[in-house]
Amino acid sequence: MSEAVVSLDTPKELERVPLVTNDRKLSWITESVSDIVESKTPLWWWLGFLITVPIALFGLICIGYQISNGVGVWGENHPNGWAWDITNFVFWIGIGHAGTLISAILFLTRQKWRTSINRASEAMTLFAVICAGIFPGIHVGRVWMAWFLAPVPNANGIWPNFRSPLLWDVFAVSTYFTVSVLFWYVGLVPDLATLRDRAKSRVARYIYGLFALGWRGGNRQWRHYEMAYLILAGLSTPLVLSVHSVVSFDFATSIVPGWHTTIFPPYFVAGAIFGGFAMVLTILIPARLCYPKLDDMFTRQHVDKMTKIILLTGSIVGYAYLMELFIAWYGANQYERAAFWNRAFGWYGWAYFCMMFCNVVSPQIFWSKKMRSNYIVVFIVCQFVNAGMWFERFVIIVTSLAQDFLPSSWGHYSPSWVEIWTFIGTFGIFLSLFLLFMRFLPMIAMSEIKIVTPEADPHHPMHRKEHPATATEGAH
Amino acid sequence: MKRIFQHPAEPTTGKKYWRSLGQRENSPEFRGWLEREFPQGAAEFEGGDVSRRNFLQLMGASMALAGLSFAGCRRPEKHLVPFTRAVEWSIPGKALFFATAYPTRKGALPLVVATHDGRPTKVEGNPSHPASQGASDLQTQASLLDLYDPDRSRFFLSKGAKSDAATFEKGLDELIAKAGDGAGLAFLLDDVSTPSRERLRGLIAKKFPKATWTIYEPLGGEKAGVFGPGIEAVPVFESADIILSLDHDFLGTDGDVATSRAFSSRRSVNKGPDSKMNRLYVVENRYTVTGGISDHRLRLPASQIGSFAAALAAELGAKDAALAAVAQAAKFPVAKINPDWVKYLAEDLVANKGKSLVLVGSRQPAAVQFLVAAINASLGNLGKTLVGRKSPAAPAQNLPQLAKQVSNNETRAIIIVSGNPVYNAPADLEWAKLQASVETVIRVATYEDETSVGATWHAPLAHYLESWGDARATDGSYVSVQPMILPLYGAWSENDVLAKFAGLPKPAGPELVQDTFKSIVKPADFIVAWAKFLHDGFMEASAALPTALPFNAGAAGQFFGQPAPGAIGENIFEVVFVADTKVDDGRFNNNGWLQEVPDPITKLTWDNAALISPSSARQLGVRAFGIRASADEGIREPRADGEVDMIEVKVGGVTLELPVIVAPGHADHSITIALGYGRTVIGRVGVGTGFDAYKLRTTAAPYIATGASIRLTGKSYPLGITQEHGVLEGRGADLTRQATLGEYKDNRDNTEYFKKMGMDAHIPKNVSLYTNPPLNQPDSIDPHAWGMTVDLNICTGCSACMVACQAENNIPIVGKRQVIGGREMHWIRTDRYFASEGDKDFDEPELVSQPMMCQHCENAPCETVCPVNATVHSEDGLNVMAYNRCIGTRYCANNCPFKVRRFNFFDYNQRKLTELRKWNLISEKGTEDSLKLSKNPNVTVRMRGVMEKCTFCVQRIQEAKIATKVAVRDSGKVRIPTDAFTTACAQVCSAGAITFGDINNPESTVSKIRASERGYRLLEYLDIKPRVTYLARIRNPNMKMPGAEKIGAAMKSKHGHGQKHEAAAAHDGGHA
Repeated sequence: MSEAVVSLDTPKELERVPLVTNDRKLSWITESVSDIVESKTPLWWWLGFLITVPIALFGLICIGYQISNGVGVWGENHPNGWAWDITNFVFWIGIGHAGTLISAILFLTRQKWRTSINRASEAMTLFAVICAGIFPGIHVGRVWMAWFLAPVPNANGIWPNFRSPLLWDVFAVSTYFTVSVLFWYVGLVPDLATLRDRAKSRVARYIYGLFALGWRGGNRQWRHYEMAYLILAGLSTPLVLSVHSVVSFDFATSIVPGWHTTIFPPYFVAGAIFGGFAMVLTILIPARLCYPKLDDMFTRQHVDKMTKIILLTGSIVGYAYLMELFIAWYGANQYERAAFWNRAFGWYGWAYFCMMFCNVVSPQIFWSKKMRSNYIVVFIVCQFVNAGMWFERFVIIVTSLAQDFLPSSWGHYSPSWVEIWTFIGTFGIFLSLFLLFMRFLPMIAMSEIKIVTPEADPHHPMHRKEHPATATEGAH
Repeated sequence: MKRIFQHPAEPTTGKKYWRSLGQRENSPEFRGWLEREFPQGAAEFEGGDVSRRNFLQLMGASMALAGLSFAGCRRPEKHLVPFTRAVEWSIPGKALFFATAYPTRKGALPLVVATHDGRPTKVEGNPSHPASQGASDLQTQASLLDLYDPDRSRFFLSKGAKSDAATFEKGLDELIAKAGDGAGLAFLLDDVSTPSRERLRGLIAKKFPKATWTIYEPLGGEKAGVFGPGIEAVPVFESADIILSLDHDFLGTDGDVATSRAFSSRRSVNKGPDSKMNRLYVVENRYTVTGGISDHRLRLPASQIGSFAAALAAELGAKDAALAAVAQAAKFPVAKINPDWVKYLAEDLVANKGKSLVLVGSRQPAAVQFLVAAINASLGNLGKTLVGRKSPAAPAQNLPQLAKQVSNNETRAIIIVSGNPVYNAPADLEWAKLQASVETVIRVATYEDETSVGATWHAPLAHYLESWGDARATDGSYVSVQPMILPLYGAWSENDVLAKFAGLPKPAGPELVQDTFKSIVKPADFIVAWAKFLHDGFMEASAALPTALPFNAGAAGQFFGQPAPGAIGENIFEVVFVADTKVDDGRFNNNGWLQEVPDPITKLTWDNAALISPSSARQLGVRAFGIRASADEGIREPRADGEVDMIEVKVGGVTLELPVIVAPGHADHSITIALGYGRTVIGRVGVGTGFDAYKLRTTAAPYIATGASIRLTGKSYPLGITQEHGVLEGRGADLTRQATLGEYKDNRDNTEYFKKMGMDAHIPKNVSLYTNPPLNQPDSIDPHAWGMTVDLNICTGCSACMVACQAENNIPIVGKRQVIGGREMHWIRTDRYFASEGDKDFDEPELVSQPMMCQHCENAPCETVCPVNATVHSEDGLNVMAYNRCIGTRYCANNCPFKVRRFNFFDYNQRKLTELRKWNLISEKGTEDSLKLSKNPNVTVRMRGVMEKCTFCVQRIQEAKIATKVAVRDSGKVRIPTDAFTTACAQVCSAGAITFGDINNPESTVSKIRASERGYRLLEYLDIKPRVTYLARIRNPNMKMPGAEKIGAAMKSKHGHGQKHEAAAAHDGGHA
């Protein structure tokens, strides 16, 4: 794999796999990342875009149809007041966790391998949160009154109900989205300046220039920039943990057996990271295929590290599943016991076992290094995880509601085509946005990845034989 | 004080209208009435207990007389415009109440109808009449919707072409002119006994002596005449300690409000363990509400009821030679019946001679009815628990006799008023063909139905709320029927038609009824007496006096001549045709409220189905509904889309294919099919609902047909069943508590006995971190605290409360598809559970019904989760909904442990049910004008996307509060007088199972009932503090009876999964 040049006279130290392989120079990084944006749009992109956009549009038509007629066009009923809508919301919100985790928490913990994946995963986060945000917006019965959720003074002097977890959701998700956008955008500024400087058309130069906010790459700018970035990372870190905790309160603070569980906040956060990383891999493995040049930046070690996180968080999730069962039994409350019994063996038992297999069993394959380095296996397992995490939310929401306290009001739920297509439509939106992102913005944080190259490290052994590097990088 | 009314000036040109006969005569009395502010009738209530309601009734009646209200009489149409000047007494938004009555084949139900601005909006029982005492029933509640049904017959049709009233009248005149002595003239009417009809019949008989008079009721029962012609036996439930019902659903389709009230008066244990509670044995083929409330129930095919009666008579005959002789003469095949059941039942009956009561369903053949009469005679019940009553109606011929005359070409003209013989006559008569062969068919009916097709004339029939009339109540008393509104479509009443034939002018007002009144009452002062009659709605002390019941055992031969019913067995079934609990014989088929209210037992809406027993289902391998089933039981699970299997029922060569429901507790080798569905000519609501079982009915076997075969056809059909799951899942001790009378007595000193059942036996005391300030100072803002009790001991599950609530609170119907989707909107529902030990035995499970409405939890879980504060608590302890504030997140419904919140998934009030899924922009918006009239103006009509639920009839609470505040002025005593009003559900309940009131007022009925040791609240462990208290059910089994020891076992605690746990809890002393 790597053939780093290590001089024989240095003390024996454990070989560190370089983050950018093949001794790529800084200029190569700039060239290859910018090239994606600057070169002619490849055919596969058009093909992909022409598939995802109609899907997205049809999803939007479904939403229009639903808003026009009422929530009745979905399959929801009494007692299943929520089903795919909130399942999809929590699913997408969960996916939105990986990006900020990678960019903020890994930044604060100085995990340098984050640099080649953070831009794309942050973008993915934003798009996932956009998809997530659709559902709470449209699932209400009177969409045009959804502004009642905002704490704005009105003529009636009625405030929102600050006791409601749904309101906390509104705050948590909107805060998360705002901070994530800022974080992502701040990270983009030096790279936008690079694109501006390289742009050949006036329009591109103008637009990139506009968003680059006059970045020149001076020392003072870097000093302020890095401090701002650090502060945003600090702000984002608690949000990563809080958003999904708050989302889990929607369930945990209720009294529905199967929802009313104190284990939910940590278990939801672990699940979100689990699902988020799976989605990052789902996106990046094909992206790397399309751009073989990225191989040197998005290496096997990134995949390896992410699969390890998937293994860890998947096991936490598995532990939580089992602990829920144990507590339901140990608590000796017949309603709780029945809820979990029905979850596994009731009407939707098949969904439970899907979830168990996908989330708990399938990631266990990552104990094997061989499997971790096999992209096909990794990709397949990630699809299991994506499906499994969706099923997890479905299982929590629907099985608990379908069979709760009074057997008389138990009721089946099955989705309508509108709901199914709305969900598929959000994938269209998500992928369309991601394709646009790939096309118009640098997928890899050039400025950040340069910092972790050997060329940028004055103490790196490679500099000992050669000239002392002048390599503090700036905008090229 | 005399104030002159300022009436609108009479038109000087054009037609002149009289407000009443009095005005026409312009008599001094009339002018006195017109001008006095307080008409004479008012004086009778001065100084008495005049409640607000009485006052309004009085005023309403007075206005009717004074010719000021719509109800008064024919107002000129030009006055039907918005008031430019306020009409005195009429306050917009305030209801006026008028007494009237709803004539049915069981007798009229006296009513008080609320009208708003001249349109009736709610029907209630007449609280002053003993037969109603304020209660009413399912069909009566829903009859209001019939009035406003946009599919009602609106036009006079001449051979199907649109005509008008004048031409129709001319047509009648021609017919009458040609009729001569009436030979060939036939009248066909339904079985409603009204004095005016009888009087007119007399006049017609004088004018047309040869005209025939036929009464047909498809579900009128076998008129056996066991006690002689014209004498019917009436049970006196108040005096019966032991009741045996043989295929007699006296609390359901075979009974009425008065029966149910009388039964529950002896069923109730409100006086504690020493209450004189009756014991009910039921033998029936399918679960009915009567079987559901019984202490001992035997499932037996309906064709074997005779065999059971014979076995019982033989057992009793051991000590009574006369009975033994009768039993001997009766030739019923021997059926498989547990001899212990008969033996100990007989023992119990004998021990209670003169205080027992044996009832038999009118669908049973005359032989069985005679045998039961003999049993009652032997038990000394005649004259004690069973009294006689003379039928006031003169005898008439029956439909087969008329059919014979028609086929012999003896009939030239036939006048069919209501009824629907083409649809519901026995199939072997081929009535449609017969009717087509008659020269002139005059049809007067509320709908253009099967019988109207091809009729020479079809005229719209006025609804009872549109016409003047009179009737006999169930107790035989003389009641008045007065209109609340002008006929919406210029319809004629039955009296109008009959008057025409009697040679009288078509009455413009109450004259005809007044003449009847004069002839019956012979009042000294007509005006006063008539005013009182209208105001009260009935004639005091006019109830039929009990007569002797002459039982002649010697007549046995006459009754036992009929052939015995055919045998049933392996693959030979009997088919039992029953009245539908909702649409009756099909007359209410176009009523959406009734179509959508679930059947009390099967929970089926919008259809009928064949009910078969689980064993029969297992043999056939059909899909089950409502019970837990698994593949190894041979019964398949239902599909989530409601699809169930269809079977083909074949009786005497005629086949009917219809969906099948596996009915727990149903007799084997027996199929029950409700009549009244599968109509072919019907409005938009009823079209495509159910299957027509009349096809299988013959004159010979109108109720029970034997020798039927069934087979699975492989097709499936979607059924809208509101309760998917009917098993308690071991939660009986928590949800539906019960004990036997013996256990109740044994624990009389343990006030915690019923409160510590199930999980409540060992859940630690709730400690709430959140103190609820308004609850801790209940008196600070509002002196009231509203609460409700539901007595499971007397609730039969009849579901009248569901429709009463629907009428009161403008609850929309959603249609079959939406019911299948689980979106019915009822604010109160009746949960029905089948229970057996271990939820295993569905052949003979127990049944329990539990009305479930918003529990108005003091610590309501819905309130904390609503993000927009749309559902909050009021000072008087209501969990209220602000529809305007609701955005429809449905979170509250999810967090409601009782799942009583209802969400408007579509714009049910604004859209046709067939166009719910059409794009908003292209589908037509709005409802039929006539349906708008039916709405209660004091209740918001909800739009789509908002949540709704039971409000404890908050509009009634507010009305009472306002009235109280107005009355007390500045004195500050704003507490509403004790029990001054109640909710719609509590008001309609004839059993008195629901009580509503102020629990802060120690004098209120609800406070007293709430304090009962039987009271418990649901899901206490959640610390939600519901304001609804359920009272545990008490059953009174005869411990000697087989299976008695198991009674109630299923309801007892089975939480957890081990006996050990159970034993430990029992040791704590809290267990049932």
